[in-house]
Amino acid sequence: MIEVNPQDYDIVLKIKDESDIAVSRQMAKNFAQKMNFSLADVTKIATAVSELARNIYRYAKEGYIYIREKEAGPEKAITIEILACDEGPGIENVELAVSGGYTTSERSLGLGLAGIRRLMDSFHIESEVGKGTAVIVEKRRHAY
Amino acid sequence: MKSKVVPTIKLYDYLLVPIQIELDDNTVERLQMQILHEIHENDVRGIIIDVSMVDVIDSYISFVLSETAGMAKAMGCHTVICGIQPQVALTLAQMGIRLKDIITARSLEDAIDILDELD
Amino acid sequence: MKEAIIYNLKELVEDLAASDDLKREWEDFLVNLADAFSSEDKDERIKELFKNLLDFADADALIRGIELLNSRIGGFPFIEMLKFAVEALDGIRKEKETRLRELNDILAELATPIIRIWQDILLVPLIGTLDSHRAQNMAEKLLERTASTRAKIVIVDVTGVPMIDTIVGGFLIEMFNAIKLLGSDVILTGIKPEIAHTLVKLGVDFNMVIIKRDLESALKYAIGIAPDKSDRKHGRKRGDGDEE
Ligand SMILES: Nc1ncnc2c1ncn2[C@@H]1O[C@H](COP(=O)(O)OP(=O)(O)OP(=O)(O)O)[C@@H](O)[C@H]1O
Ligand SMILES: [Mg+2]
Repeated sequence: MIEVNPQDYDIVLKIKDESDIAVSRQMAKNFAQKMNFSLADVTKIATAVSELARNIYRYAKEGYIYIREKEAGPEKAITIEILACDEGPGIENVELAVSGGYTTSERSLGLGLAGIRRLMDSFHIESEVGKGTAVIVEKRRHAY
Repeated sequence: MKSKVVPTIKLYDYLLVPIQIELDDNTVERLQMQILHEIHENDVRGIIIDVSMVDVIDSYISFVLSETAGMAKAMGCHTVICGIQPQVALTLAQMGIRLKDIITARSLEDAIDILDELD
Repeated sequence: MKEAIIYNLKELVEDLAASDDLKREWEDFLVNLADAFSSEDKDERIKELFKNLLDFADADALIRGIELLNSRIGGFPFIEMLKFAVEALDGIRKEKETRLRELNDILAELATPIIRIWQDILLVPLIGTLDSHRAQNMAEKLLERTASTRAKIVIVDVTGVPMIDTIVGGFLIEMFNAIKLLGSDVILTGIKPEIAHTLVKLGVDFNMVIIKRDLESALKYAIGIAPDKSDRKHGRKRGDGDEE
């Protein structure tokens, strides 16, 4: 789907087993904490990663989550970037999937993607049926 | 019943469920089974879930908690949640998640008062 | 290394500093640096020296100094020293950030006081324009405070807020929902018709928020429903047959 060079990232997480979901959110939490995000933002970031990891596990069976610290925008704000990608079935109607309340899973709220979009500062998704899905999100640390 | 996922405490005729472990998906599922089982076995009239030790609640955990509460309701049992951490509350609210069928309380004491009032 | 620096001291200082004051500073620095090279905790001491130097010189001057030492002194550990310089600069940046953050926290607190007016009641008078950053910040503080005081009721008074756009309105609604998740109730007061309109359009759930016309009626209502701790019933009423 998209070219990724794992060396460009601080953390690379392979999602394959159910337990990887909890591991990935723990890793994201620790990383965001080290980046000095507020406790509320640390929780938002960990929750977003939990959602992304679960979607990979549930719909694509396996995939990767990449996390890095970077500087973004003209004011060079400290930013966390999270990329989740898989080579799973893809999403047929992306717009519908991110609008919230839509789910193809029986026991779900269908609020994962919509929730991530609201928790983070930027949200970008690319998906192609039969090829896979990539979600890139960012959150800036507040300018003090 | 297999070993309990979470040790529970019977308080009057309420079941106190203090969650002190990381909630991975498998654990959440087993916890649901355990709670429903205990309601059935022990003649429980109210459930109090204490999540003060839980630092991430995502959409799936929320769903299962609400689903459990819905099932408990069908068995004549109210569910109260207490101890939601402030940053978890902010996250859930921002995601637009509502804990359907669950009453929120400020503390364990508050939860008991609420259940008492409902009787 | 130590000897080489001391030996070249006069020349180095001449080239590094213009004024007499600066010369003294650089001389101290070089002597200390020479000394640090032969000490056990060399790395730490050099980093500390770099940091101190940056009190009177800027980053450029430090780098120029390192370059000069490199050109004059054979075997000078150039790369290593540059690395230390970068670390020292980074340390200073972080310290500045922390200080700024503390200042900002104080400012934010001054701008949105959270007052515990009664055992179980918090009052938050919002004043001035709310941008989304300030709204987020306030939400974090208020949630923290609501949880730590276990307040039963949070009164949010928006009398002093001239306008609430849809974004900030959205934040407010989220904040109210978050407070409800803590098990506390929200009373909204001082609401202007325009703001009410915005909130309704945004789908504020009036079952979730109690609206009162002014602060006085909000307080009366809050005190009416907030139980006094001393009134708490100690024996609880039980159903039949469950108490042996
Ligand atoms: N990585 C993915 N690969 C394929 N389909 C996906 C992927 N992520 C999401 N989807 C599709 O998008 C829908 C919406 O996803 P979203 O995460 O918002 O909700 P959900 O997973 O159904 O429920 P929830 O996350 O609330 O438990 C899913 O039901 C699924 O059909
Ligand atoms: Mg999902």
